[in-house]
Amino acid sequence: MKRTPAALALLTLWIAALALLGWFVQRQLVVGADLRLFLPNPVTAEQRLLLEEIGEGPVSRVLVVALEGADAPALADVSRALVDSLKQSPSFRIVTNGEVSLDAVPDELLPYRFLLSPALDTQQLDENYLHSELQARARDLASPAGAFLEEWLPRDPTLELLKLLQRWQPMQEPHREFDVWFDRSGQRALLLAITQAPAFDPDRQRVAIDELDHALKQVAGDRHVTMTVSGAGKFSVLMEARTRGQAQAFGTAATVGMILLLLIAYRSLGSIVLSSLPLASAAVAGMAAVSAIFGTVHGITLAFGFTLIGVAQDYPMHLLSHRRPDHEPVAIARSLWPTLATGVASTCIAYLTFMFSGVTGLAQLACFTVASLAVAGITTRFGLPVLMGRAGRDFGDSRFLDRLWDRIEALPRMRWTALALAVIAIGVVMLAPQTFWENDLSRLTPVPRDLLLTDQQLRSELGTADARYLLVVGAPDSQRALRTLETLEPSLRALVKSGAIGGYDDAARYVPSAETQLRRQQRLPDPAALREALQRAQAGTPFRTGIFEPFVHDVEQARALPPLTVEKLRASPLGASIDMLLTQRSGGVTALVTLSAVNDVAAVQAFARKTGDNVRLLDIKDASEQLVAAQRTRILWTLAAAAVLLVGVIAIALRSRSRVFRVLAPMALTTVLVLAVLRASGVSLNLFHLIALILAAGLGLDYALFFEHASADRAEQRRTLHAVLVCSLSTLMVFALLGLSDVPVLRAIGVTVTLGVIFNFVFALLLTRPPPSSTPSPAALVPHQGSMCLLERVIEWDDRHVVLQTASHRSPDNPLRMNGRLRALHLCEYGAQAMAVHGGLRGTVTGVRPKPGMLVSLRAVQFGREYVEEVPGDLRVEAECLQADAGSLQYRFRITHGEEVLAEGRAAVVLSANE
Amino acid sequence: MLLALTLFPALCATAGTLDANALIARLAKPAPATVAFREVRFSSLVNEPLIVAGELGYSGPTSLDRRVTEPYRETVAIRGESVRVEREGEPPRSFGLNRAPELRGLLSSFTALLAGDPGALERSFSVAANGTDDAWTLELKPSDARARRRLQQIVVTGRADVPQCFTMLTANGGASVLLLGPTADRELPKPTTLDALKHLCSVE
Repeated sequence: MKRTPAALALLTLWIAALALLGWFVQRQLVVGADLRLFLPNPVTAEQRLLLEEIGEGPVSRVLVVALEGADAPALADVSRALVDSLKQSPSFRIVTNGEVSLDAVPDELLPYRFLLSPALDTQQLDENYLHSELQARARDLASPAGAFLEEWLPRDPTLELLKLLQRWQPMQEPHREFDVWFDRSGQRALLLAITQAPAFDPDRQRVAIDELDHALKQVAGDRHVTMTVSGAGKFSVLMEARTRGQAQAFGTAATVGMILLLLIAYRSLGSIVLSSLPLASAAVAGMAAVSAIFGTVHGITLAFGFTLIGVAQDYPMHLLSHRRPDHEPVAIARSLWPTLATGVASTCIAYLTFMFSGVTGLAQLACFTVASLAVAGITTRFGLPVLMGRAGRDFGDSRFLDRLWDRIEALPRMRWTALALAVIAIGVVMLAPQTFWENDLSRLTPVPRDLLLTDQQLRSELGTADARYLLVVGAPDSQRALRTLETLEPSLRALVKSGAIGGYDDAARYVPSAETQLRRQQRLPDPAALREALQRAQAGTPFRTGIFEPFVHDVEQARALPPLTVEKLRASPLGASIDMLLTQRSGGVTALVTLSAVNDVAAVQAFARKTGDNVRLLDIKDASEQLVAAQRTRILWTLAAAAVLLVGVIAIALRSRSRVFRVLAPMALTTVLVLAVLRASGVSLNLFHLIALILAAGLGLDYALFFEHASADRAEQRRTLHAVLVCSLSTLMVFALLGLSDVPVLRAIGVTVTLGVIFNFVFALLLTRPPPSSTPSPAALVPHQGSMCLLERVIEWDDRHVVLQTASHRSPDNPLRMNGRLRALHLCEYGAQAMAVHGGLRGTVTGVRPKPGMLVSLRAVQFGREYVEEVPGDLRVEAECLQADAGSLQYRFRITHGEEVLAEGRAAVVLSANE
Repeated sequence: MLLALTLFPALCATAGTLDANALIARLAKPAPATVAFREVRFSSLVNEPLIVAGELGYSGPTSLDRRVTEPYRETVAIRGESVRVEREGEPPRSFGLNRAPELRGLLSSFTALLAGDPGALERSFSVAANGTDDAWTLELKPSDARARRRLQQIVVTGRADVPQCFTMLTANGGASVLLLGPTADRELPKPTTLDALKHLCSVE
């Protein structure tokens, strides 16, 4: 770390800016867990309906509650007490345990019972009917039931209200004990709770479930009753908690690992601080971008985003590893920038295409990735170097790396092996038996299998609506919808009778169409006729005359009532059911017929086909899979476009075909190999595998670009090796942890990227090396041999100019040393050998062997210091031909170390005439 | 007659104070037990009381069968918290005991007495005993406030070891008199009023 005031000022400013932005973002950001964000955005009305059904339909808000742990009467008690205590709860629309209570119906709806009850379709309120009803009531009065009927009888001697309430019970009547719902074994009391919040709002669902827990504790007292809550809402709470928990755990582990890795690699605490700045900036920038553009962020996006830290970490690491004692960090950053920028740009381009994929979750991911990686790159280039002091050491200069690099260099070029591997991999990919794409959305959920089974079991006990099949009726308005539903009723009843379905539920069972209500209204007798009928009917029954006046009054009222509309019912306890079954949409009304226990799908399909155009059978599973499949094609096309763009960017940056090929080959080979490994292990690919593959490809590109950039400079190569080692280890750490998760999404990403990193590292090393230097080594070109050949390798040369690199001045075997010391004076010999090498190089081109020459003069020689054996690193030896003719050459030579000139001067050589 | 009436209480007084618990214990009958009954139900809705007859079957503290044989056939089975009504020519119905506190009152008092368990009785009612061992009256008032809103009290009258009548008075002014055992076969007074029945129940 530099301690200059400018650096400190920048540091303070940077941290302050991060803190401010971070606080702001954290306040604004809303984290959601709606998995539908990773489903394609709905385009058609049917797709919209589908997604609404999955998230907010009748099925999704239902929570099934099972109570067990005590004997049946106690459980029934607790069940009843629970319903009572949750009556006014704001989290639930309704909690029911099957009890039919006469006071569940609000007073203003009571007169409507004659219009709602189907009894009057077949009966008239005439003398005969009334007489048989009254007789039955008399017996009821004498029986224990009479106790609670007594109050009610004057108003409703035909018990219409009771009939209505029973009709509103689920058709597939669950098993009852002690008058409340129980499972068939009688061990568990069952309740249904319908939440206000949709299933995919885990926060509010959690509040609702907590309320259930709390209510249970209160009513159970000291009875040990355990409660199981099951349903879409519960699962989304579970999933959100798990994903969040694991993301946090991995994030912490990854951070600790990262710090350790940095300490081992760079051995300075300052490096940790420095490299954390671009990362923090990247994280904050990513969250700010998503928050600004989308408003909410999905938990999976956040989790993935934070693992991107393993990728963004690469940029400061490259900078840190490429530092040299003799170079200013700013200069190093400048020289690295083209490569770094190409890497950032190509990854960003690949992710940018996700913004147009039509999937909101992916667009968020893209936004986060692009913003954070771009900021990481830019801050590494412009911000970090200002803060960095010169390195104390050259990280490439380590024996370990030297040996490693030598061993790698010794490995054969992989041309044909690579090709063979690619072919085998493609073969495996094509031939693997399982389906290529994972279409089953339920596999994405991390909910354990046994919970899902319990849920299914409980639902079948209760006869709740089937989660997969729905009949959808479209109509311009509610009344026409209700009429259509009424016409469907006989066929639906037939389906129930034949066993194709266990039961059904639709809005018409609660509120008949206005037409039907009017028809029933007209069958109601006028008060005079009713009184007369009553009088005659009462003969032979013990009832007193005149006590049924309230009944007459109610009938009279019912004759004048306007038909009951759906809107009026919405505020009543029935409103919960109505809302789910009949919804107003732009352009009309959608009525649903929910089915329970669908045993014969074909029969239901045949029925739907027969009934006409506005009745459709919706197979939620099928439709959602088709939706996903269609969108996947779109995503693949955008990816293809991204690939083309990528190749274009690389081509523009590198400009040479062979270089472009060497950079792209590892990435391509890795992608194919990872696909092969996944397919061979029986995995079907899903969207998240795709995302991870792109990320791994971006990483591979980075490695390959940096290896390519290092080209023939050995020191650069070693530094790059150091950088890439640290980078890949850090990325590997993060994603390997993720691969251990049991959340399918996180695991998919983790495993894919881990494989990608490993393969990319290997192939970048093996495939990106430039072809073996066609430049001969200096030893081949000069007469000096053995330790007397002072120059180690040629860096570059042209017709007038040669640059070489050597570290032989440090070697204790250097013959020019005296008493272990090497005087700068002897650097003239280096210059002379450089000139000889240049002659030899030119000779390889012209084909003419160079003539031997003799140094005859040295002029204007200047030395930077007296002794040079302690100079660290390599010396750079340059020779420039000033004048050449057949007999003599004049060169200017220069030996530098970093920016320090150790020796320079001019030399003249006379070529001997002999061959 | 008047003299006898004035002497009567004195006779009672000298017969010894009534020990409610001991009395209840003596009423015990082994389960299963069957008791003939005739029920007279008074209601503001009807001109004359509704009268049914049949037998009561007792097979445990939470289970009671009420089998009506005259003038129609009907069976009400109470098991725990659930009541099931089956009448000839009609589909069976069931509902919860909490819907009919009077029924719960009948169930708990009847079964407690038949079991001879004063503790059980005291759990649900406050017990006031009057009279002598030969002609006793137990006044049961439900201890639960909610139940008291529907069922005012149950008066059990009997002679020696045999309960004769269960009179249930409901808060809305209705009443139901259950005549048990031999009393069930006795002819009912005409007109059949509550007072007349009270008389029937307390005088042999």
